Amino acid sequence: MSVSVLFRIEDLLVQFGGLRAIDAFSMEVEQGSIHALIGPNGAGKSTVLNCVSRFVTPRSGRMVFDGRDLLAARPHVVTRMGIARTFQNIELCREMSVLENVLVGAMSQTPRYLPFLPGFARGRIERDAVMQAEALLERTGLLPFRDAKAADLDFGRQKLLDLTRALAAKPRMLFLDEPAAGLRNAEITALDALLVDLVRGGGLTIVLVEHVMQLVMSVADHITVLNFGRRIADGGPAEIRRNPDVIEAYLGTDAHAAG
Amino acid sequence: MFGSPPLRHQIVLLVLVAIGFALPPFVPEYYLFLLNSLMVWAALALGLDLLMGWSGQFAFAHMAFFGVGCYGTVILTKQLDLPFLLAMPGGALIAAVVGFLVAIPSTRLRSIYLALATFAFAEGARFVFNSWTGLTGGPDGLRIPTMTIAGWKMTSDRQVFPVLAIILAMLLFATQQIVRSRFGREMSAVRDSEHVAMASGIDVRRVKVLAFTVSALYSGIAGGMYALINSFINAQQFGMDGAVLALSMVVVGGMGSIPGVLIGVVLIGLLPVVLQTKLRSMQLWQELIYGVMLTLSVTFMPRGIWGAVTGALRGRR
Repeated sequence: MSVSVLFRIEDLLVQFGGLRAIDAFSMEVEQGSIHALIGPNGAGKSTVLNCVSRFVTPRSGRMVFDGRDLLAARPHVVTRMGIARTFQNIELCREMSVLENVLVGAMSQTPRYLPFLPGFARGRIERDAVMQAEALLERTGLLPFRDAKAADLDFGRQKLLDLTRALAAKPRMLFLDEPAAGLRNAEITALDALLVDLVRGGGLTIVLVEHVMQLVMSVADHITVLNFGRRIADGGPAEIRRNPDVIEAYLGTDAHAAG
Repeated sequence: MFGSPPLRHQIVLLVLVAIGFALPPFVPEYYLFLLNSLMVWAALALGLDLLMGWSGQFAFAHMAFFGVGCYGTVILTKQLDLPFLLAMPGGALIAAVVGFLVAIPSTRLRSIYLALATFAFAEGARFVFNSWTGLTGGPDGLRIPTMTIAGWKMTSDRQVFPVLAIILAMLLFATQQIVRSRFGREMSAVRDSEHVAMASGIDVRRVKVLAFTVSALYSGIAGGMYALINSFINAQQFGMDGAVLALSMVVVGGMGSIPGVLIGVVLIGLLPVVLQTKLRSMQLWQELIYGVMLTLSVTFMPRGIWGAVTGALRGRR
């Protein structure tokens, strides 16, 4: 069986002042998999993600996506290479409509034109972009809210819009930063179904950043566990569930002392 | 929201141009002078709004670009004997180039730091206007020669009025096209969330520099228009009071909307005139009234008059 590695992080080191936020961290993400990156709060998961997005520059290490060096790319180029992301603390273009947010997400897929030439190219480009955005909104169930202001949506739908916006970039790899946080159970079930569908049916690779372990067990093919900036475990869900280091990181050592 | 603007928006522009030609014979020269000034302010405020309202950058350098455009137009007319239709675009282009050069370092800054850096640049530019005696006439200023357009000598506000109406209509058309284009969407995304913009593949630095440059071009065009309605310029005309006035127009009228900016221009622009003619002693209170209006507007109508009106209409439906 040959599996191909789509994305690789090697020996990542991120330092904020005297704090080593990420220390000698490595992980490999296989093409077409759902890979979970989990760890307790403050473990450094979002920092890893911010390195990938090039919002944070690591002190050392390598990040390679499909054979290309991510550290050589500026943030917008990362997206154009095929990596999209959502945000833990929902970031949206709040003053813009739901549709406009998705059009922003599709920007890397929308050809350029000169604003002053109201010719056919412009009309066709904009019509195509709107049609594709609407198709995507239909898929995530937000089409009825097409013209609502993003800031006016409820929390769950704002998270869904964040995801829809990220999907509009037609990524090959999608990083989701705590997509389930704050969602109701029914919403989580629907989200899981959508993610599995995107990966199995659409060939997408997903990295799920999450601190609630139970949420990822059912969908993840592979799990990497991070604590205090270091990788403490890496393997399949069943393996991770039994790993004593992981149990300790999540439950603390008192469990052993009591037992 | 995106795509070409609806036809009715362009009819408004044609009406503006038609008024530009129809009005002058029937209106006293003084009122035409007022309307001419308002059109210059409108050009300046539209450019400022592209930067502030659409791309979310609070910069205070527009009076400097206004000055560069105005001096540029006058100097090109005087020294090279160019007709207005070459001198004005020339001056505006110089303003845009200066804007581009200022944008490269200053768009690395955000919020109050951007405001301070551009404020410093504007004061620096005023110092240059005042000191480069060989070019700008220094503190004595420059007398503006009579401009010619297609062989016509522009000697009165009556003659200038249609010219400014056409330029403003063109700027309004350009603004509509820009804000509803892909680039307009990029600017709005940068304004609302730089993180979302970057994560969507938008080159945030490029958008900021481009918005800054286009805004400087508008200010430069406004400067060229100003040269047409004045007979004399010196550095004092490009100071901070003008910057505050333009800022008030955009904020009170409604940032990020063309009708809002135009409402702000008319209200704030006519205020000193009303104060002068109706309440002679109130002229002293002008600055205070601006301040109070700005404060009230920001507190009670954060989206300006236009934002409050459209918000109320939407709420009623």
